[in-house]
Amino acid sequence: MDPFFHLILVAGALAGASCGLLGVYLVGLRLPFVGIFISHTAMAGTVYALLLGLNPVWGPAVVSAGAAMSLAALRPERARLDPNVALAILFSLMLGLTFLGLGLGQGSRTEILGLLWGSLLFVQTKSVIVIGVVLAVLVVFALAFSKELKVLLFSRTIAAATGVHETFVYALFLGLCGVILAVNLPLVGGLMIFSLITNPAAAAYQVCRGHRAVVVTSTGFGIASAVGGFLASYYLNLPTGACIVLASTLVFAAAAAHRALAGTAD
Amino acid sequence: MSGSTLVLSEVRVRPGRRTVLQIDRLEIPAGAFVGIIGPNGAGKTTLLKVCAGLIRPRSGSVVTEGLDLTRVSAWRKCELRRHIGYIPQVAEYNADLPFTLREVVAMGRASIRPLLRALTPEDFEIVDHWIEALGLGRRRGQTFRSLSGGEQQKALIARAMAQDPRVLMLDEACANLDFHWKHEISDLVEQLYRQTQMTVLMVSHEVGVLPPACTRAILIAAGRVLADGVVGQVLSPEVLQRAYHADLTTVTLGERTHIIRAQQDTGAGGRF
Repeated sequence: MDPFFHLILVAGALAGASCGLLGVYLVGLRLPFVGIFISHTAMAGTVYALLLGLNPVWGPAVVSAGAAMSLAALRPERARLDPNVALAILFSLMLGLTFLGLGLGQGSRTEILGLLWGSLLFVQTKSVIVIGVVLAVLVVFALAFSKELKVLLFSRTIAAATGVHETFVYALFLGLCGVILAVNLPLVGGLMIFSLITNPAAAAYQVCRGHRAVVVTSTGFGIASAVGGFLASYYLNLPTGACIVLASTLVFAAAAAHRALAGTAD
Repeated sequence: MSGSTLVLSEVRVRPGRRTVLQIDRLEIPAGAFVGIIGPNGAGKTTLLKVCAGLIRPRSGSVVTEGLDLTRVSAWRKCELRRHIGYIPQVAEYNADLPFTLREVVAMGRASIRPLLRALTPEDFEIVDHWIEALGLGRRRGQTFRSLSGGEQQKALIARAMAQDPRVLMLDEACANLDFHWKHEISDLVEQLYRQTQMTVLMVSHEVGVLPPACTRAILIAAGRVLADGVVGQVLSPEVLQRAYHADLTTVTLGERTHIIRAQQDTGAGGRF
């Protein structure tokens, strides 16, 4: 394998780990749609950043972090809408804004459309470093707020009623989520990111017992999906994005089959 | 909220145009065991959530320890809630995740330790104590999702007790349980109340699950308090008619009061 591809493998592993770890919380909170909402917010941010001549990485990161943090205001005990329905409505708003921005833009649309599918093959060292740093921040956050995050996953109502600083930790988590997705978006793409968030975590929830096992397994499944998918595309000469998505689906199918055949780990 | 009287004054909860809770004045002294009963949709859970500061009323005050819960900062409210053991309805917790029973009980210590501090060995001693005390020792390493409904309720009570609560709030803790578990959970709450003398607020649509230690019942219908007093005395057929729009009466079996249809012998079904 050409040494050029080593950087792609590292980038894929870091993106897979980020999405796998993030998925533990997004899937556990029953909000996998948050991933697709935030990634499209980042897309809208990128479109308007390019239109206005702003920084195309940090501009969208700030916009998606802000949009994500505002979701913390949706209280489960007060909401009349299912959070996923509310997210679907916000998602359609972001999609409309994105395409409006695309229509207003005069230049090439390649860069914007690349956000849909990602461009792992054109990754640069600088992007890998940024993704690595953001992953490190996520790991530190998950360790530092481990006890609060567990209660949040189990029940936001219990967390709120018993004095856990749930709104603060939840808003912080969503903000971090926005930054991570915006940073990973040019690499992984808005469509693939959804699979990498949902499938590894859903697979880990199938086969694990205990929260720590879920965290480690989901992160590992994320890495396996990204690296395995890339290697399959390299050796079989197939599209990279499609292979990574299919690899993550295969991981979930294998976990579900394992649970069905070997029983649960409960 | 911690060991002091809770006073609700002129509380109105109106999420839209309809008033779902209207309480002129309600006092819950420290150490009381109060049952909150009423038909479905009466406002029982809303009242419990107002008491826990989870729902902010449109107007009125909810005062404890000299502080109005409707006006304190979110940060201060967290401190006040630290000693509330809250057990929500099934729909409000995620029983599908593979948390072990010990992890769920350990969640009771999460608010006791400050942010950025991990739980200590002392915390886990307390967690293990409550797991053993509630007879769940053999299930410690099992996942919460693999437990029976009754065992899950016990685990949630163990989680609440690990908080060293001064107020225990239970929202339909016995709903969806079979006869054996209903009474097992009800007896357990009574036993813990007698041991600790904490304040207990127990919401139930079924009067029969309120244990004998529950000396006061608040009957709510259409968001208003229809009766407030000794369980066996305040539930007159007139009051029950207004609450449930049916001919009902009460009967005492052992030390527990049940609501039954009028002109029905106690051996038949139809108890509330």
